[in-house]
Amino acid sequence: MIGRLLGFRGLIATLTSRELKARYRGSWLGFVWSLVNPILLLGVYTVVFDFIFTPRMAGASPYSVFLLTGLFPWIWLSTSLVESTSSLLVNAALIRKAVFPAEVLPVVVALANLVHFLLALPIILAAILGARMLGFEVGGWSALLMPLAIVVLLPFVAGLGLALAALNVHFKDTRDLLQNLLTLLFFLTPILYPMAGLAHLPWLEMVMKLNPGTPFVRLFQEVLFYGNLPEAGLWLQASGLALLAWTVGAWIFERLAPTLVEAV
Amino acid sequence: MSRPQPPVRVRSVSKLYRRMAPGFRLRTLKSALVERSLVGGLSAAESIPAVQDVSFEVAAGEAFGLIGSNGSGKSTLLKLVAGILQPTSGEVIVDGRVAALIELGAGFHPEISGRENIFINGSVLGLSRRQIEERYDEIVAFSGLEDFIEEPVKNYSSGMYVRLGFAVAVHTDPDVLMVDEVLSVGDEAFAHRCLHRIEELLAAGKTLLFVSHSLTLVEDLCDRVLWMDRGVPRLIGEPRRVVDAYRESVAESEGRQHQKAKEEAEAEREAEDPAGPRRWGSGAATIRTARLLVLGESGAAVERYHLETGESVEFEMTVEVDRPLEDFVFGIGIATPRGTEVWGTNTELGGWKGSRLEGPAQVRVRCPDLRLAPGEYRVDLAVHASDGAPYDYRQGAFSFVVSAPEQQVGLYAPRHEWSFSSAVSWAEVGSTTESEEIKHE
Repeated sequence: MIGRLLGFRGLIATLTSRELKARYRGSWLGFVWSLVNPILLLGVYTVVFDFIFTPRMAGASPYSVFLLTGLFPWIWLSTSLVESTSSLLVNAALIRKAVFPAEVLPVVVALANLVHFLLALPIILAAILGARMLGFEVGGWSALLMPLAIVVLLPFVAGLGLALAALNVHFKDTRDLLQNLLTLLFFLTPILYPMAGLAHLPWLEMVMKLNPGTPFVRLFQEVLFYGNLPEAGLWLQASGLALLAWTVGAWIFERLAPTLVEAV
Repeated sequence: MSRPQPPVRVRSVSKLYRRMAPGFRLRTLKSALVERSLVGGLSAAESIPAVQDVSFEVAAGEAFGLIGSNGSGKSTLLKLVAGILQPTSGEVIVDGRVAALIELGAGFHPEISGRENIFINGSVLGLSRRQIEERYDEIVAFSGLEDFIEEPVKNYSSGMYVRLGFAVAVHTDPDVLMVDEVLSVGDEAFAHRCLHRIEELLAAGKTLLFVSHSLTLVEDLCDRVLWMDRGVPRLIGEPRRVVDAYRESVAESEGRQHQKAKEEAEAEREAEDPAGPRRWGSGAATIRTARLLVLGESGAAVERYHLETGESVEFEMTVEVDRPLEDFVFGIGIATPRGTEVWGTNTELGGWKGSRLEGPAQVRVRCPDLRLAPGEYRVDLAVHASDGAPYDYRQGAFSFVVSAPEQQVGLYAPRHEWSFSSAVSWAEVGSTTESEEIKHE
């Protein structure tokens, strides 16, 4: 599967840029819009959580910066999965009427959303720098490890995307299942609150640790927010999950590939 | 060194489609995952054979045509060869780069410009970005869309869509080009440019698979033709022969349907009004049966009610009498369904004078080379006395359909041949009644 995808890298690049172009085509501000959303979120969260609620949780202040460092990787993950799931159906014309490698579609979705994540990154970095200037102990040189976190998360997103895309062709409930599952998982991932504050709820801590999204989000929080070098165990956990997701996802896709065109 | 293998090899390929019964989702998911097939474990009633046991090969430089009525499996077959669909059984091998034009503008993104779509379409067809850049100007020139290339393709007409799609496809250097009926969308000038380009590709040793309902185009372009009939290959071979056989079969089934409809209508009419004006007479003689025989070249007579202009026929009736008659005339007439007389005669007009008729008797009128224009005709048969008093007069005893390779108007289709002085020249040479055809009689 990887070899085939590499063979289509030109196509994947073209389609990814088409995806990004088409999204902003006809809009006046174009790519600026992908900056507007994170800035808006940063502003709102700052006002709501640093001035109104002021949640007192150890290891999560300033809260708005904590939230953003976990939220943006999550948005990349969850948006990609939702879009991948319907990617084959949306491009049904392409698959049914042209000789087209369907497997590139979920990969394109993962990459296009990665670009969006990267576009939002300057905002996160600016927020971290701002917080440091205000005297908070956040961020650090460990941020240089973030590309590595991206490299680990990408096959996880793409692998799950492949599986979901293929399954959804045959079983359209996949999409609804996924959306509800993602909503639930969002609250079971340490994005809104750090895991450190859960000592009094051991069962919840357990569930969170079992959530496959957790290690990825934590990687980003460690390198961006806490300024730590993540422990080897966390890297291993995330890489293992990524490898598993990719292998299983690619396998499911390949099993279903011969039947996709008719069913789509 | 052995002869190179033909680039397209199709070996006993079948394709089953599953019927879409509701509530089968989980089951189809399971069979897709476990058996890699949607029709695994389905009974015959739950699946539809779209293509059954088709084998053929297409050599390099060969143009291969697929014809057949709607739903005959041509497009499914093309998609199987293109690799879009997987066969349920059998094997498809295609060597080299494939460009398939199954639908106009498949893969175009409506929101973005023609220019960007060229790049996307080109990379879908396997070109690198640099290759597309090199050919970009040529592609645009071929499509003739210079003025619209920066417009989003959602504003294109369907003709512009297909021009762009075809332009990209033929510039990808395909080893095997597959075209499904899309050429009919463009205008005449573009169709000519496409055909010209296709001929160039063929001359360069590329392979063409061509699906079309335009039988003349198939005949002109293709080296070999496969006729698909309800998923089954009916005939494969020389275009002229296959196309003719297909045309005949279409005419035949039209004739059959027509005959059936006639009989039903007649039965209905008789049931409503048994002594209606369609048949009258004293009953001293009765026309028992009436039929049309078409005479083959070998002289064998076959009963059928569809024929080609110029075929030889015999009208036949059997007549019974209560007691022997001395005064009798047999008559025949051909009319259009609306009642316009095309031709009529009887034995008296022909100079015959009856002396004795004992039943049952057979009466035949032979018309060699019946040159009626394409259309539907009614036959009236009669037995009457020489003063005109009818014994049995059957209006619309049966009817038949005439078809011709070329459309003509009117009732009569004489042999004809066009000729022109040198001041007249033609972009395309049309048909005349071929002298060859005249000779073989």
